[in-house]
Amino acid sequence: MAREPSSRERSATDLPDGSAPGPVPLLSVRNLRVTFRTTRGHFDALHDVSFDIAGGQVLGVVGESGSGKSVMALALMRLLPDDAGRISGGRIAFRGRDLTSIDEAAMRAVRGREIGMIFQDPTTSLNPILTVGHQMREGLRLHLGLGRVAAGRRAEELLGLVRIPSPRTAMGRYPHELSGGMRQRVMIAMAIACDPTLLIADEPTTALDVTTQAGILDLLRDLRRQLGTAIMLITHDLGVVAEFADEVQVMYAGRIVERAPVRRLFAHPAHPYTQGLLHSMPALEEEDPPVLPAIPGMVASPFAMPDGCPFHPRCALAADACRDAVPPLRPAAPGQSAACLRLEAAMAA
Amino acid sequence: MVAPPILRVRDLSLHYAAAGGRKVRAVDGVSFEVGRGETLALVGESGCGKTTTGRLLVRLARPDAGSIAFDGAEIAAAEGEALRGYRRRMQLVFQDPGSAFNPRMTVAALVAEPMHLAGVPRAARAARVAELLPMVGLPAEYAGRFPHEFSGGQRQRIGIARALALRPDFVVLDEPVSALDVSVQAQVVNLLVALQQEFGLTYLFISHDLRVVRHVATRVAVMYLGRIVEIGDKAEIYRRPRHPYTRALLAAVPSHRPDVPARLPADLGEVTSADAVPPGCRFHPRCPHAATLCREVDPMPTALGGGHEAACHRVGELAA
Repeated sequence: MAREPSSRERSATDLPDGSAPGPVPLLSVRNLRVTFRTTRGHFDALHDVSFDIAGGQVLGVVGESGSGKSVMALALMRLLPDDAGRISGGRIAFRGRDLTSIDEAAMRAVRGREIGMIFQDPTTSLNPILTVGHQMREGLRLHLGLGRVAAGRRAEELLGLVRIPSPRTAMGRYPHELSGGMRQRVMIAMAIACDPTLLIADEPTTALDVTTQAGILDLLRDLRRQLGTAIMLITHDLGVVAEFADEVQVMYAGRIVERAPVRRLFAHPAHPYTQGLLHSMPALEEEDPPVLPAIPGMVASPFAMPDGCPFHPRCALAADACRDAVPPLRPAAPGQSAACLRLEAAMAA
Repeated sequence: MVAPPILRVRDLSLHYAAAGGRKVRAVDGVSFEVGRGETLALVGESGCGKTTTGRLLVRLARPDAGSIAFDGAEIAAAEGEALRGYRRRMQLVFQDPGSAFNPRMTVAALVAEPMHLAGVPRAARAARVAELLPMVGLPAEYAGRFPHEFSGGQRQRIGIARALALRPDFVVLDEPVSALDVSVQAQVVNLLVALQQEFGLTYLFISHDLRVVRHVATRVAVMYLGRIVEIGDKAEIYRRPRHPYTRALLAAVPSHRPDVPARLPADLGEVTSADAVPPGCRFHPRCPHAATLCREVDPMPTALGGGHEAACHRVGELAA
């Protein structure tokens, strides 16, 4: 039963790029800022990030290290490490509530129940000394108030849903006795246990072999169809995004630099960074040019961000104006926006 | 076709005892050649034995059985001074060189270390370091800095400079770009290709990334549970893969074309562990084409022409 927001509901706030308001989004993030305090000083890991996810939508979030994509996931779940990072501005509207202002007890109820999470390394989320069945039953009793027997039955059902071959046997196993792919399936089973409306998956297949990855992506695709869950899929892998996402958001140095429907992004990337990323990936289906078109340089340190557009030191199109101010996201095509002053030149390239 | 080989490997094996007395057949009878100046890519899933094979070739591990002929000399059982002599000519680059570096050593000291161990005099070491840093794209003024001051891409450049310090002929690159960001990956791939051309290096390129392999390889060997199941020229392997495992691997790589419907590979299940190698063809429990013969008899490599081989009983029946 897919949850389609009704069409008469309208977004209260338009996105800063002026794109037309759609149905009320499931998640609506506005001007989110995350500041880290370190021994070397303060820096913003996320700058004024604004975006929406509609019910049932798969949003791919692509970026390299330092892009802020994982910090964003932790901020949405309010799981930033207390001593280092904090949300220093903005709002996170999720089903009508601002997650930045509710108390920790209310947030705990959202986490796990309404928003499920899947991380790259399931071993960090599974307790090594408890069996899979024990952990799943505990979670179900805690979140759904099920009795012992009902929780056991539901746990077995969930393991079957994530296509673990013999759920009953798996329940009696300890996490280390399962393969990486099976552990990730257990994580997914736990994440969907409470039928969440949003699933945040941070590099869910990065640690897995390509054949195992294909199985997990296939499973997520199926679950999304069956349960209508919206998914925010964070990854560095453009191929995973191409196969799985409806829309893609490209991040660079703590900012969204482009957002577009998936086909549009791969066929007509607008931002010079997105273009560079796509061109620098070796092709699978054909021969590349002998020298891969690499993006020169590297991401600046957060303590030494350049003025203006954070990508300008690596950008072939950079002009003087690019050094003066951070460019806002602006429309490039229907449904597509990019944060580039030289957008017209970039798209003509 | 294979260039005159610099390395000829025959029936190489390394088994070891795991917990519970089970025997892990990490490398289980592997034979191949590496032509001088070429890049042989070794691909396969984790646990297939590709990293162990690489360590055996540069003799960081000693095989139980089999032969490794390096430039005509048998080195599988070499020891002491003789082994040290060969090791200068064979180097290894790791996935994350940062973790292998001594954090208290400067870049110059790290790059000079292999030369120091090989007894190269101080002045010659300094001169070579000054040559190597610009060669791998690091400014000379970085020489006095420490590894933690560098990004992953720069650390990999330091690792490459270190590996090239003694002017080796043969370099094993074990997932050299897997830990790097996409935008930096292409830079390091380009560097490796340029260095190979400039110095006539021979590479064994170990990787799970079939995109990068398509770009760098001359030939490709596909490993599964300690065996090579298919080997051939890159163009053959990518255009006409013959072993069902190679086909499954290629089909599982996500395409960059959202306009093309996802090619859903048959759900293969997961790799069986190298401590429980099945009888017959070791791929048969996951193979959509497995027949009775496959469950009983271990297939030998079938020659398919042009140096292309696949170890599959049904390779003749499966459409090319």
